[in-house]
Amino acid sequence: MSRFAMRPSATTIKETVSIKGIRNGLLFTLRDDVPFRDVLSALEETLRKDASQGEETSLLTAYVQLGNRILTDEEERELRHVIAAVGTMMVGGLEGAPKPSDWMKKEPFVFKGTVRSGQVIEHDGDIVIIGDVNPGARLISTGDVYVMGVLRGAAHAGAAGDRDAVVAAAYFQPLQIRIADVVRRAPEGNVQAAEMEFAYLREGEQMAVERMNALIATKAHRRNRRVSGQGVS
Amino acid sequence: MMGEAIVVTSGKGGVGKTTSSANIGTALALLGNKVCMVDTDIGLRNLDVVMGLENRIVYDILDVANGSARLEQALIRDKRFENLSLLPAAQTKDKLALSEDSMRAIVKKLKELFDYIIIDCPAGIEHGFRVATTAADQAIVVTTPEQAAVRDADRVIGLLEKEDIPQPKLIINRIRAHMVKNGDMLDIDDIVQILSLDLLGVVPDDEQVIKAANSGEPTVVQPNSRASIAYRNIARRIVGESVPLMSLTEQEGFFSKFKKMMGMR
Repeated sequence: MSRFAMRPSATTIKETVSIKGIRNGLLFTLRDDVPFRDVLSALEETLRKDASQGEETSLLTAYVQLGNRILTDEEERELRHVIAAVGTMMVGGLEGAPKPSDWMKKEPFVFKGTVRSGQVIEHDGDIVIIGDVNPGARLISTGDVYVMGVLRGAAHAGAAGDRDAVVAAAYFQPLQIRIADVVRRAPEGNVQAAEMEFAYLREGEQMAVERMNALIATKAHRRNRRVSGQGVS
Repeated sequence: MMGEAIVVTSGKGGVGKTTSSANIGTALALLGNKVCMVDTDIGLRNLDVVMGLENRIVYDILDVANGSARLEQALIRDKRFENLSLLPAAQTKDKLALSEDSMRAIVKKLKELFDYIIIDCPAGIEHGFRVATTAADQAIVVTTPEQAAVRDADRVIGLLEKEDIPQPKLIINRIRAHMVKNGDMLDIDDIVQILSLDLLGVVPDDEQVIKAANSGEPTVVQPNSRASIAYRNIARRIVGESVPLMSLTEQEGFFSKFKKMMGMR
């Protein structure tokens, strides 16, 4: 339900649903001053027309601009369903076009070898280590940290405040992990290295560690958005 | 003759740098090589004590560096092993008194006179460490099966990797087989995995080493001590022989036999 049902006439010229091509997908702007049912059917109509026009084979990412509308869970499900029904379209987000910080992907830093005690690798962007990170070594990244070896030292991902950053390792046995400003240290005692695990901030608050396959599930669309999105038109 | 300079280092103090230097040096000399041991621990020299040559020091490395003595004057020939010499450190002054340049000059001269120059490095990673490693062609990192020693060894390896020398070799000192077996001590595989270096040798913890050091006689001269065999094997590996690592599990049987022998004496 719209909270702005009685808007000045100037805005009523706007279409109920407008589509704009942005470099990494399509931006759907849904008017927030008409009932959700009308918006939804208008969207459905537009998409059907669009789909019949040409043969789109590559997968498009749809970003939805909701304006001031707040969706209930049921409404959000319906909206996603309508977009997903196109087949070649996936929902990228309901918060409008991706922010520049999401698509401004920085070059990763790749280090081959053992990072030893006392050595610090600091990089603006992701850090990839092909080798071990020993106790006493530190990795500081504004993006993610990936270790293709044993992570025994300390790693700081999202050092500039990115709470979506993760720390992942083939053998996960860190002394200390930081993501943005959240710090977690290793449990006391001698803990065996866990294979293929990563740390992230659950709900942007609590640090959690999960198996690597969950990384693919939780981070995939955000990651892909960054990779495919080189800019907003 | 162009000798090879090998620095023995560890980062942490007390893990057996000096003992290892003395024993490797002596073992190499026993194999027929001309060996010079250089003590770079200015102000805290020990190598002369361990070798029992303290009373023969007239000039030291600083005298050579500042020109008040010729290198040949400062070298102490060990009377027990004709191939073995020692260039002692100064006990006065501190580590800053020896510069990297004069160290390089001294080692260059020594390399013309000897097959192997064993450089005993001071603990730490400061000036003394840099001086000791500056002229080295090879490095040996000594560690013990303790977290702190392994951590420091790792730090030192990181510093050595920046130098223009081949990958250092690793000696794990003072292994106690029964403690490793019970999981009370880091085992060899763990240490090698963390430090990712080639293993030059494993030296078992052996009371004979302490006895020998206190009597001014390197352990390697004793035929039956486990540590002695380990050091002799290390020397043979340095000269290029391929010697398998000795099994640590035999230790108990051997020790009891050894004790019996001692008891009979």
